[in-house]
Amino acid sequence: MIPEDTVSVPENISKSAGGTIVAHFDPKGLLGRFRNGDGAKLFLMATVVFTVAILFFIIIFISYNSLDAIGEIGIWEFLTGGTWSPGSGAYGASSLIVGTFLVTGGSILFALPVGLGIAIYINDIASPRIRNILKPACELFAGIPSVVYGFMGLAVLVPFLMDIFPDHLNYGTSWLAGSLLLGLMALPIIISVSQDSLEAVPRSYREASMALGATKWETTRKVVMHSAVSGIAAAAILGIGRALGETMAVMMVTGNSALVPEPLWNIFDMVRTLTASIALEMPEVAHGSLHFSALFLLALILMTMVFIVNLIARRIVRRTRIRTGATVVTGRTRSMTSPFEKHKGAVRRLAVNAAVFASAFMMSSLFIGTAGGIAVGVLAAAALFVSKKISRMIGPKYVQKAVYSTLGIVVIAVLAILVVFLGVIIVNGLPALSLDFILSPPSKSGLSGGIWPAIVGTLELMTGTALISFPLGVCSGIYLSQYAKDTKTIRLARQAIDSLNGTPSIIFGLFGMSLLVIAFGWGYSLIGGCITLSLMVLPTIIKTTEEAVSAVPRELTEASAAMGASRWHTISKILLPASMGGVITGFILSMGRAIGETAPVMFTAAVAFKTTSSFSLLDPIMALPYHLYYLASEVPGSTTNQYGTALVLMIIVMVLFTAASAIRYKYKSRTGW
Amino acid sequence: MTGNMNMIETNDLNLWYGDKQTLFDVNMPIKKNCITSIIGPSGCGKSTLIRVFNRMNDLIGGTRMSGTVVYDGKNICGPDTDVLALRKRVGMIFQKANPFPMTIRDNITYGPKLHGMKDQRELDEVVESSLRKAALFDEVKDRLNTSALSLSGGQQQRLCIARALSIGPEVILMDEPTSALDPIATAKIEELALELKKNYTVVAVTHNMQQARRISDYTGFMYMGRLEEFGRTEDVFENPKSELTERYVSGRFG
Ligand SMILES: Nc1ncnc2c1ncn2[C@@H]1O[C@H](COP(=O)(O)OP(=O)(O)O)[C@@H](O)[C@H]1O
Ligand SMILES: [Mg+2]
Repeated sequence: MIPEDTVSVPENISKSAGGTIVAHFDPKGLLGRFRNGDGAKLFLMATVVFTVAILFFIIIFISYNSLDAIGEIGIWEFLTGGTWSPGSGAYGASSLIVGTFLVTGGSILFALPVGLGIAIYINDIASPRIRNILKPACELFAGIPSVVYGFMGLAVLVPFLMDIFPDHLNYGTSWLAGSLLLGLMALPIIISVSQDSLEAVPRSYREASMALGATKWETTRKVVMHSAVSGIAAAAILGIGRALGETMAVMMVTGNSALVPEPLWNIFDMVRTLTASIALEMPEVAHGSLHFSALFLLALILMTMVFIVNLIARRIVRRTRIRTGATVVTGRTRSMTSPFEKHKGAVRRLAVNAAVFASAFMMSSLFIGTAGGIAVGVLAAAALFVSKKISRMIGPKYVQKAVYSTLGIVVIAVLAILVVFLGVIIVNGLPALSLDFILSPPSKSGLSGGIWPAIVGTLELMTGTALISFPLGVCSGIYLSQYAKDTKTIRLARQAIDSLNGTPSIIFGLFGMSLLVIAFGWGYSLIGGCITLSLMVLPTIIKTTEEAVSAVPRELTEASAAMGASRWHTISKILLPASMGGVITGFILSMGRAIGETAPVMFTAAVAFKTTSSFSLLDPIMALPYHLYYLASEVPGSTTNQYGTALVLMIIVMVLFTAASAIRYKYKSRTGW
Repeated sequence: MTGNMNMIETNDLNLWYGDKQTLFDVNMPIKKNCITSIIGPSGCGKSTLIRVFNRMNDLIGGTRMSGTVVYDGKNICGPDTDVLALRKRVGMIFQKANPFPMTIRDNITYGPKLHGMKDQRELDEVVESSLRKAALFDEVKDRLNTSALSLSGGQQQRLCIARALSIGPEVILMDEPTSALDPIATAKIEELALELKKNYTVVAVTHNMQQARRISDYTGFMYMGRLEEFGRTEDVFENPKSELTERYVSGRFG
């Protein structure tokens, strides 16, 4: 209590009454303020202003460029028009929007139950040893670059699906492939967020339920999941946000046909998403044309969708926290007086049955026609009924056994996918790896030769991005955590940072291309790629810095301030060293994400081939992710080099992730917070 | 009261958490339709002992027991005990009220539904009768569909009692049920316990000797994992056999 006052009193007075009084409280600080305190503060503030201004500029830039399309086509016509054929002047984006919803929806339908199941497994059953395998496996999954997912989708998933459904898939690329792949990519975030929220449910709820004679599973299903419902919803929504903005993987496996599937649930049809349209059409479009503007309008729609999704997620999380304090999760507790209250059970049963019938009908009718589909739907609903009867008959203990065994199987299956994934890359990539492959440039369109220029380009990109984003991001993060008051302006700044934090990378690519490549006339250049990637990772770096700095226990800063140290002295001598571990970890993870990115780089910096190893900031570069994408989609027969490239990219990313976890681990064990 | 039969009987009960022995040769009868208090300094094993009666210690890995606890003619310590059925008959109230984050009604119907009750009218009856038995009905009858977390601390604890009663137990275990409550709420719970013993057998752990004295028929004094003294409450408080007990009940340590 008392040290808190020593900090806040000089603060308040200095604000209200100026220098002399401060000097009275803190004589040493007066000099400090002029020497470095205020200077540092101003400098930090300038970085925030600069960063936020750029981020606002992106939003304005995208909106501004879409004005032409809004004016000429009309927003309503654009949103509802059925045909997307820019070549013939038809700009109806509805099939793209529907495609985006279908692919995203399908992926969540797959990833939410699986992810929640794995979270329950980790929470209820897994021994500490198994937890220690599953949690890093989850992070590994999250760290794989999306172009590698796309590559594996093309190399493994699509042929696999064609083997299973030879009559329904002509090329294998399809909505189904896209949703499965996106689902896999959304799994890590769904697992980690929902597991956190299950874990946060107070033990006492569990005890109360078990004391009433409930099994562990009954307790999880009826009390724990009920209490964690907000967290689970947030997990689903964050997963949706991740899937919505995904570009490379989707583009590589969905077939990109701008038609609405026929019938609407035909998962074997090809679809085209908003992100894929932007990525595919941007390189070919004439600057300043209507088509150009239309692509910005697509980007604006996408940004709005992602923004709304993230907003909802944040609301849910915040609402839960506010109502409950940090640790208690309360679930739905408002008074419920809906007319259905009395028949809640019946309504829910009806809804579940309808959903089971509908999904069984949709899937089976693709194979055996409408009549057969109806029959299967009825059978499925009946099977649900029977399984309920059976579970009542065999008793809760055996139901628990059955459920937990199923969850175990799900966990093993997902781990198996991960193993296959990594195994295929390693087994096929290792033979390609040789000193020659690494150290020589590609030849014959990449059919032979190596990847040296791409490795160099990726490392150059990383270095440049680090040089730009680290100082800006870290300084802004420090300012926001230490100096910023909760004013309207600061809140707006945070809002901008937050909303760009989830923005799809393709948006940054679009921005970088039209501004840096075209308007500035830089062409494809290393510096353009670095700037674009920096903008993309800035929000994350700011956030992680702010969190790391704020996590330093108050007592430390108070102790320093109580000895008369100036604010800046405290920050630079106490706070920063104490929070460096967290700051660096967040930064390295951002770099891992940046070098795995394809979409922003292929619009601003990367070319398919470059043999000379000249170094200029304004030269284009080769980059590993784009090289992999190029080989996989344009150079048939380059399989060996594809795997080799994928393996090298994975190795670099994994090295970064390992370094990040090592640093986090080291600092955690040293400081203990 | 003296002629009452034993509802539960422990014989030479020992319990270990891992390697650490926590209960030593406890021999204690729990009389039917009586309130039995367990008192003793904190850490002496009171909670551990009462959590044996509904096997809640099973939730903690690595516990081991020897000796027997006979309830309804059967040893409930063995591996073949149907723990779920046991907990249905031996309910529990915890130190801190822990209503589920659901409506008041859903809190009460949770147990009955769990054990297979489906009929809406039957469930409504259980809600009313359980709340009445817990002396809470009149206070909440107009807001059964509001969150249980909106109740006051004392009301929440009575809701937990109603929830425990909803599945028709025979024995009610209370682990310091009033330690988080103010004196008025505490008095209500004590009154309720006295009412409940007409139909149920109550075992209450308490930190508060006055409380034990006020409400219980039998009292057990525990010290370092052993049942130092057990007897009728007035005997334990007024003519303790053990010097340790005497010092404890007279407030000279603990
Ligand atoms: N889960 C546990 N694991 C290991 N030791 C425990 C555990 N729970 C309680 N103990 C130990 O058992 C002893 C008795 O605890 P407890 O029964 O809670 O005492 P009381 O309720 O009388 O305060 C204490 O020494 C406590 O540290
Ligand atoms: Mg206790």
